[in-house]
Amino acid sequence: MSLQLLANVIVLAAIYALVGSGYVLIYRVSRVLNLAHGELMMVGAYLLVALAGLFPLNPPLALALAATCGLLMGIAVYAVLMRWMTGEAVLAAVLITIALGILLRGLTILIWTTQQFYPGASFGWRNPPVHLARGVQISSASAALVCLTAVVYLGLLVFLRFTRWGVRMRAAGQNPLLAEQRGIRLHGVYALAWGLSTFTAALAGMLLSLDAGVDLNMATIGLKAFPAALVGGLDSLPGAALGALIVAAAEIAAIQYVDPLLSDVVPFIVLLVILAIRPWGLFGSREQLDRV
Amino acid sequence: MTAPLLVVEGLKVAYHRNALALHGVSLTVAPLAIVAILGNNGAGKTTTLRAISGFIGLDDASVVGGSIRFAGERIENRPPHANAARGIVLVPERDKVFPNLTVAENLTVSSSAGVSSAGRRRLEAIVFAFFPALASLRSRLAGLLSGGERQMLAIGSAVLCNPQLLLVDELSLGLAPVVVEDLIRRLSALRQELGITVLLVEQNANVALAVADYGYILESGRVVLEGAAAELRGRREVQEAYLGQTSGAERRSYRALRQDPAITERPRE
Amino acid sequence: MSDRSALAKELSLFGTPARRLRLALAFAVLLVLPFLATPFQLDLLNQVLLASISALALMLLTGFAGLISLGTAGLLAAGAFTVGVLFREIAAPFWVTLPAAAAVGAALGLIFGLPSLRLRGLYLAISTLGLHFVVVYLGGEYEARQTLSTGIMVDSPSIGGFTVSSGRAWYFVLLAFAALALLISVNLRRTRTGRAWRALRERDVVAAALGINVTRFKLLAFVISAAMTATAGALFAYFRNFVSIDAFSLYLTVQYVAMIIIGGMGSLAGAILGAGFVVLFPYAIEAAAGYLPARFGNMVFALDYAAFGVVMILFLLLEPEGLLGLWHRLKNSLAARQSGAKSTTAPQ
Repeated sequence: MSLQLLANVIVLAAIYALVGSGYVLIYRVSRVLNLAHGELMMVGAYLLVALAGLFPLNPPLALALAATCGLLMGIAVYAVLMRWMTGEAVLAAVLITIALGILLRGLTILIWTTQQFYPGASFGWRNPPVHLARGVQISSASAALVCLTAVVYLGLLVFLRFTRWGVRMRAAGQNPLLAEQRGIRLHGVYALAWGLSTFTAALAGMLLSLDAGVDLNMATIGLKAFPAALVGGLDSLPGAALGALIVAAAEIAAIQYVDPLLSDVVPFIVLLVILAIRPWGLFGSREQLDRV
Repeated sequence: MTAPLLVVEGLKVAYHRNALALHGVSLTVAPLAIVAILGNNGAGKTTTLRAISGFIGLDDASVVGGSIRFAGERIENRPPHANAARGIVLVPERDKVFPNLTVAENLTVSSSAGVSSAGRRRLEAIVFAFFPALASLRSRLAGLLSGGERQMLAIGSAVLCNPQLLLVDELSLGLAPVVVEDLIRRLSALRQELGITVLLVEQNANVALAVADYGYILESGRVVLEGAAAELRGRREVQEAYLGQTSGAERRSYRALRQDPAITERPRE
Repeated sequence: MSDRSALAKELSLFGTPARRLRLALAFAVLLVLPFLATPFQLDLLNQVLLASISALALMLLTGFAGLISLGTAGLLAAGAFTVGVLFREIAAPFWVTLPAAAAVGAALGLIFGLPSLRLRGLYLAISTLGLHFVVVYLGGEYEARQTLSTGIMVDSPSIGGFTVSSGRAWYFVLLAFAALALLISVNLRRTRTGRAWRALRERDVVAAALGINVTRFKLLAFVISAAMTATAGALFAYFRNFVSIDAFSLYLTVQYVAMIIIGGMGSLAGAILGAGFVVLFPYAIEAAAGYLPARFGNMVFALDYAAFGVVMILFLLLEPEGLLGLWHRLKNSLAARQSGAKSTTAPQ
């Protein structure tokens, strides 16, 4: 594989890993599969479009505000909608997220129509290519995304491992009953998980929009990141990163050497393979399967 | 005589709204006492404990009659975290620790309701004083602990929630007798030090009666016998049915044996 | 009434005389309807009938046997594409393509059903989701290879020398198929298969312990449901004279899932009710859109999405037993009020 292809794989893997971390966060903590994640990511990107229009001369402010809105959006989704499903059947909760995705899609079109937007253009930013070694190049936005993914993962791992709230989240994910008995308020933990999840999704969406613009198809990228999370194990962050690498490599190899039309289906072929041989994923915990 | 801390009267619990698991259980727990609930499998001991701690709703069960009063307040069918906030902390029978967290993390996670940080540090110090083994196991994953160590961690985590009433479900299950004896002695001493009340549910009557002040014997969802621990220990019927000291005849249920008017009995409802 | 006659009553399809009368009345109404309805209304009716077939199929699989599947769109596509490909390649007639579509559906059902032997609930749903994308890819691949950017055109079918193309003709054809689907579903539910499925839904571990061949009945559920769905897909191809992979999106699957939820899980009447609701819903939204400012009115499909999402959320949150659940609650509250009214008007 040529070095340029390798660079492309890493960029795509970073996208899937960043988006995939959102699936893992919510699933690990509350056992819910958030199938509206792709749409939430898309809304994050559209939020940047709106904020870029409001603050075209101040990109850092727009970006920071958009990311903050992403965080708040996740907490709001939990507080208004998902909290009622806590304690109910997981499948019903997943169905609600599907319905939420549809609702968000409709609202997005109503507010922004189906045209494509380029928030980078509002900032006057031309997304220059970054030249790496030996003639390999990627766009600045892609480079930023790779770096950001690494930072986000590091941050999440530190948070979960060393902070009080992080330990609470891990505890709630392992045994919600016991967590309640020991005084952990599950609603708070779940709301935080949702907030962090949409925060990372919004970041991914924002950077993607700076790279290639945003339209409704962005939600599809969000859905394609799901196999990456599943391959790694839906409750493992390192797993999501590895899964992203595998899926990205498979996808780019297929596009390059077999058939470009395979782009949207390869992640799901990988998904089917892993479900057939190791359903709980590479690093996932096994007993989750029986609980569903 | 001081007012009892916990008063359960005529408690009826039903599963799936149909099957009655408890047919009117009544018991009283005095402050600072250790009270034991004994009985064989399926007698209703765990159900009683669940009803008191608030975890009854999970198995689609609910309190359908009678009352539970804690410090004068009625608490039946309240959610678990409300009861935990009141100071009723449960050490469950299974899944009593977070297996993928370390011992230290398990302890950190316990939320000390209504206690200052100095107070919490004091509780931590007490836990490590009474369970010194935990101190050396701080960075061990809880799932890798031995049964006895896990039980110590479970009790320690519960203590860190600053309980007034500690509910312990089947302390001895799966543990070697030597370990159980050690644990039960520490629990009793802990009770003294912290000034807490303990309600102990046990299949192993020997162990429970060794340390309890008072005991209730449940059978098929009813209290069939109660009394001070010393008296219960001495009763031949109890010895034969629950303490495994038979004289050759096969084990019979309490009901089948002669009744002694010297011990308070619960009339059948 | 003796046990024997009570059981016989339960098993018989056309039980009491009262029931027979109701059925006859319904039958009469159904026969007369196409001659009373406008062409537009007739088309709506036809759409509902067509959707009912797949809704019933999904109800059998998910509502009865408890097997979660997100494969409806893929199976509809398989049926439609079988018709499209056979028609285009070898000009196959209706009586060849339809059984072929059912067979393709059955075969696909077997594949979709295999994961259910190891996976449950969420993970089973995910596996069917993966298979959906594979089917969609294959359909897209065919269209690309044949450079059919706008899909495959299909002539109206010819049944016994008679070309089915008018609304009324389609009505009777679709009514027949829907009735057949209903009959199959009703019978399956009453027989050993249905009972096995119910046992599966409750606890398949327990079912296995009771001696039920879990593998066989799980696969049977998928195969039957898939064959029915693919047949519906085939009918859809003929109904619209057109097949294109773009029509078979995840959103289509979600609509069918919504049908069985909104209608009321676990009941055949619910499936049909749900089908009616979901099919007619966009038209209701479109009518309402006329009252909105032009900007929104022009994007009716987006309005449809948003409204559909809201309705689905409302049902899942507030009335998980769907329209049937609502109906029962309404009946109970009316009955309660009636008995209350009776006591106040009781003679002194």
